Amino acid sequence: MNVVELKDVKKYYMLGQTRVDALRGVSLAIGQGEFLAIAGPSGSGKSTMLNMFGCIDLPSEGSVRIDGTETEKMTDKELTRYRRTKISFIFQSFNLIPVLNVYENIEFPLLLQRSLTKKERHERVLKAVEEVGLQDRMKNKSMELSGGQRQRVAIARALVTRPLIVLADEPTANLDSETGKRIIELMRQINETEKTTFVFSTHDAHIMKEARRVVRILDGRIVAGGDVAGEG
Amino acid sequence: MLTLTIAWRTLLRRKGRMALIAVLVGFGTFLIVFGGMFASSVARESRESIISNFTGDFIIYSDKSKTLPSPFAFTTPLPNVQDAAKIAALLDGNDEVESYAMYSQNYGLIQVERAGKKLDLPFIFYAVEPAPYRSVFSNVKMTSGTFFSLPEKGSGGTAGSGIIVSRYQNEQYQKNYGVTLETGESVTLLGITEGGVNTVRSSLSGIFEPLRYRSVFDYINYMDSATYSSLYNFTGVTGLPDQFNDALAAANVDESSLFELGGDDAFGRLDLASLTAETLSGFTMVAVRLKDHDRAGAVIAALEAEPELGIKIATWDKASGFYAQISLALQAFIFLATGLIFLVVTLIFMNTLIINVVERTGEIGTMRALGADKSFVRGVFLTETLILNISAALAAMVVSGILLVFVSGTGLPLPETISQFLIGGGSLRMTVELLPFLAALLTVVVVSILATIYPVSVATAITPLKAMNDK
Ligand SMILES: Nc1ncnc2c1ncn2[C@@H]1O[C@H](COP(=O)(O)OP(=O)(O)O)[C@@H](O)[C@H]1O
Ligand SMILES: [Mg+2]
Repeated sequence: MNVVELKDVKKYYMLGQTRVDALRGVSLAIGQGEFLAIAGPSGSGKSTMLNMFGCIDLPSEGSVRIDGTETEKMTDKELTRYRRTKISFIFQSFNLIPVLNVYENIEFPLLLQRSLTKKERHERVLKAVEEVGLQDRMKNKSMELSGGQRQRVAIARALVTRPLIVLADEPTANLDSETGKRIIELMRQINETEKTTFVFSTHDAHIMKEARRVVRILDGRIVAGGDVAGEG
Repeated sequence: MLTLTIAWRTLLRRKGRMALIAVLVGFGTFLIVFGGMFASSVARESRESIISNFTGDFIIYSDKSKTLPSPFAFTTPLPNVQDAAKIAALLDGNDEVESYAMYSQNYGLIQVERAGKKLDLPFIFYAVEPAPYRSVFSNVKMTSGTFFSLPEKGSGGTAGSGIIVSRYQNEQYQKNYGVTLETGESVTLLGITEGGVNTVRSSLSGIFEPLRYRSVFDYINYMDSATYSSLYNFTGVTGLPDQFNDALAAANVDESSLFELGGDDAFGRLDLASLTAETLSGFTMVAVRLKDHDRAGAVIAALEAEPELGIKIATWDKASGFYAQISLALQAFIFLATGLIFLVVTLIFMNTLIINVVERTGEIGTMRALGADKSFVRGVFLTETLILNISAALAAMVVSGILLVFVSGTGLPLPETISQFLIGGGSLRMTVELLPFLAALLTVVVVSILATIYPVSVATAITPLKAMNDK
């Protein structure tokens, strides 16, 4: 079964009187365990598309299914619950919570879930910390970390809830190319060992190469790599 | 716990800005606690002071009077109370009454001789029965002589006659007439009556100083009631048969009926031996002091229910003119000032919160993207506000409490001019009450929540999309 599925999704923004078409009819299904890149130049609609997958923005037309469920009629509370339990994000600017240290940042989504005991949370956080190799940085605040380290924390935070899918919008854009490459390699390694589904966007050809599938997007349309069945 | 951690650390991160808010909230709290207690202490002391030094719990006066019985009344004297004896009997028979004093306010002249020249000194006086007056009022402190020969302290002793002037009055005599009265000196009193000017020989029993309400009692002097009666001809005849009284009353209406009195049986059989001279009261006011001030309403109601007494009653707050209003005005002022401070605090606080929300847009968006509900965001902000404001309020309460303990021993010293107006003089006894503390805490909590409503609505409206452009 597909983890997430866009069907003929259109998204427009109104800038005053003028309409900006960010997505002009996109259909794409992402299967369990994929390691997929959405590639395209700046302004092509990559972020908008990831936002649709992540239930943090709603389509103007078309439908979004998460884990087989239509999201169109969901309330804000239900969408929030989906994000809390099924979807994880890795952001371009890392987005760690500044007042929390590394350990607490990683624990944060688990605390929001309120379903695990302290001990279970501790085990999960330790495992995630180990996966990203930050065992000796657990008490540090995000201010004390380098960009690459921060993004590792963000990856650990994304993994700790064991989500259906991890969405990463240009996760390497604020990192130097060497560090960026290592971050993608780390994600790929986790994808292989844990079978976690990853979708990341990028406009960097070197990064793109790491993906097992590349979906190319231009002016709000998929131009290559889309699944033929979905395109109608 | 998570909410608390985030709230607490966020506060610490914005120390400077939050310290300002804390100081403002603390100041507002201090105003409520200390100001509230100050105002209520003034109200209580002012009432106690007015009752003990100025008016008693209430003053009974004639229902024919057009003005209130007060030292500021323009009509002096007021009409006499008609049936002083009956009023006395009623008050004597009432368990709630601690003491009462009948008195009157009037003008007169003191004539003295200096270097063979006669000088007329004007004076305003209370004509009092010395012992009852002192049982109600404790405002007179003799600086020389005695209060009509009564012992300095306690009850008992027989009152003598004479006059007593205030030290201030005596100083005015020196200033305006070059005369200083000496205790024990003989004087001639002049009273103006309908029949002309009456004179009575008397002497200065003493000089006093008011303990409280100087601005009133510096101008008031005293005369004993017996001297007053003879000065103003308050003498009459007792023992007339009732029918005769009735006939006289009727004759008053119709002059011709006066001549028919001679034919009246009662008049014809009048036993002249039964007639005796009596001193009429001439009292215009009866100040009543109760054992329990709070029972005034009931006692007054009982007196007013008495038929044909011909009285009106003014409670202490009415009879003391504007003095009773001062503490009310003060309370209103403190209330308003506190309200204003809190309004300003609320606005500054709201503004600060909104700045915080805007600064934290990305962070809030991130939390929302990671699955935090709106209620979580609301909780973080509310917790921040409450931690900050309640700790500021508690700190202010501790400071207020320490200050209160500090002044509760000695009383709060006030500048004498202010104290005279507020409580008649002296330092203010402060009583520590729980209520202002609770009121302050409640106010801070309510104001905090109100001030947070709008900023929180801004914060919860932040969508997870905002996480994307967090820098
Ligand atoms: N909130 C918005 N309001 C108006 N236009 C927007 C908004 N978000 C995105 N767009 C527009 O939609 C298009 C696609 O944007 P985006 O998805 O961010 O592209 P990419 O991530 O590939 O750079 C761009 O032309 C962008 O200007
Ligand atoms: Mg983008």
